[in-house]
Amino acid sequence: MNSIITAFDKGIEKSGVNPSRISVPSDIPFAPEVVNYLGVDFFHTTRGRAIAFGTGLKLGNPTLKVIPFVGDLMTLGGNHFVHAGRRNMELLVICVNNFVYRKIGDHATPSTPPAFSPYSTFEEPFNVPHLANSCGAIYAARWTALHTEELANSIAEALNKRGLAVIEVLSPGPNFYTEIGEIEPNLLNFYYEKSVVRNQEDPRDVGITPEGKIVVGKFTDKERPTFIDSYNAQLSKVLGDKFKPYGSER
Amino acid sequence: MKANPRDVNTGVYYMDGDVAAGYGALAAGCKFIGGYPITPSTEAAEAFARIAPKAGAMFIQMEDELGSIASVIGASWAGVKSMTITSGPGYSLMMENIGLGAMLETPFVILNIQRGGPSTGVPTKTGQADMMQSRWGSHGDYEIIAISPDSPQEMFDYTIKAFNLAERYRCPVMIMSDECVGHMTEKVVIPQANEIEMEPRRFYDGPKDKYFPFKPDEDLVPRMAKAGDGCKLYITGVIHDERGYPVKVEEYKSIYVKRLVDKIRLNKDRIIELQEEGTKDAEIVVVSYGISSRVAVRGIEKAREKGIKVGSLRLVTVWPFPDEKIAELARTIKAFVVPEINYGQIAFEVERCSHGKANVVLVPHGGAGVHNPDDICDAIEYAAKEKRKIEGTVEYKTKLERLIFEEGYKLHE
Repeated sequence: MNSIITAFDKGIEKSGVNPSRISVPSDIPFAPEVVNYLGVDFFHTTRGRAIAFGTGLKLGNPTLKVIPFVGDLMTLGGNHFVHAGRRNMELLVICVNNFVYRKIGDHATPSTPPAFSPYSTFEEPFNVPHLANSCGAIYAARWTALHTEELANSIAEALNKRGLAVIEVLSPGPNFYTEIGEIEPNLLNFYYEKSVVRNQEDPRDVGITPEGKIVVGKFTDKERPTFIDSYNAQLSKVLGDKFKPYGSER
Repeated sequence: MKANPRDVNTGVYYMDGDVAAGYGALAAGCKFIGGYPITPSTEAAEAFARIAPKAGAMFIQMEDELGSIASVIGASWAGVKSMTITSGPGYSLMMENIGLGAMLETPFVILNIQRGGPSTGVPTKTGQADMMQSRWGSHGDYEIIAISPDSPQEMFDYTIKAFNLAERYRCPVMIMSDECVGHMTEKVVIPQANEIEMEPRRFYDGPKDKYFPFKPDEDLVPRMAKAGDGCKLYITGVIHDERGYPVKVEEYKSIYVKRLVDKIRLNKDRIIELQEEGTKDAEIVVVSYGISSRVAVRGIEKAREKGIKVGSLRLVTVWPFPDEKIAELARTIKAFVVPEINYGQIAFEVERCSHGKANVVLVPHGGAGVHNPDDICDAIEYAAKEKRKIEGTVEYKTKLERLIFEEGYKLHE
């Protein structure tokens, strides 16, 4: 987690965005108190609702930069994620994926690849960048907690994108992996040896499997009108002068 | 402070209660509604969605009620007044985040146009069976405020009041209306903006680095700040100290939760609004709220024609509950008659507060319709004749119930 926060700090600095204009809603698994020292506003909400909470923050004050830190993304937060993509809501979603619910005794998650659970899971995991891309996100990337430099650059780049940006960060859940013994005991080594950078790779091909390589990189980078763009365009068309475009602080 | 003329559609209208609530929300300065359509509340959302863009406000149809309520709390922290609109099943989905709203001391309003339950129930018809849910629905200890309007005009007026209370006490406020009032079409007068009293958000205005989001003023209510103001907010649903940082100490739990409930309980007198009529020399008092208080008017009239001294206590504010008022009346009267469209929710509160000094007669209704005023009159008559002190609440059998359960009425013949 520390390396992610470090990368987050660097990323904000590189992006040129004033930290006081940044709001970070998170869901239950992630409440890093250290985030507060970066100068951002932090909201620790309910399980899975960080994106919905962030949608309210963004629409309440469109001049804010909103960065949901999510852990329950693919479970409780799945529907909000899908719709944030469809709307192209201006959020930078940072999905910290440690493959297991660390806080509650290592239960498997929908993004747990087979063999990453005590008796191995038999369910197909989600491929987060692929899902993001399919739902309409304009930016999708994946890095591991080892790739601090790349992650920081990615955060800086995504913060200045207009629309839904998604960065999946694979982070260690070390006890779990070492207990099973099936995976390299030194997880950082495991990430180091397994991961391979392939920018522009087709997101369909970056699913994580126990056998294959962990593909990291930036997979999607495109442009689409944001929710507020579309809202303003449609209402201006219908209401004409009676409508003042939405977007400034009120 | 007065309302902003841009937000007030002054005029005399013929509109239903739902629509009036939509207009009331805008007039109160609401700038964000996140909602998900559900019968019988949709007209309120539609009305707001129609008028909001011209006043710089936004309506967004979220993906579900979980998202709606979360976005409403988010928008409130972004610095705008916000609300959501729902009914039965949607209301149930919102419960977890209502607790979050109470815990984060976030001002926002929930309009619940109650329908027949449980479950899908009778979506298009009325009910008053969410009253206890509004008070206790989310887990843990907290207090909320709930208001129950009984006409389209009140839907407008009390939506504004709900926003004012939410801002004043930094807590979720529920407008517990119902399908009958929501779909009732009547004259609604929307006054000039300068006649509408509006409570502005009580923002903190001291030095940014000295802001404690949960440090209360003397009235136990802390000041708000908004995201992006440079206050470095740390806001969490975990038990926290005045700075907002999580604490797991037993003492803090007591300090914090006690204040959460006390800021409403100790300000009760300023929050509660009641309409009392003819209670001075009454032997029976009808306690009612929402649509049932409107139906009760006729029942009371009929009982008075029969020479019974009946008074009326209408709960405009249902939560916090007027314990003292009920206790005071219980000392002088013979019985309370409580008509409500459920099988006993507020009636039991009345029983609790009357401390055995007056009988309590519940006039129940299963929902999907309102009481027959004759039932309320008959219950009053029964209560006036009853000489015994009865322990607990008496459930009065309505005409319809007697017909079905005692006289062998066949539904399908």
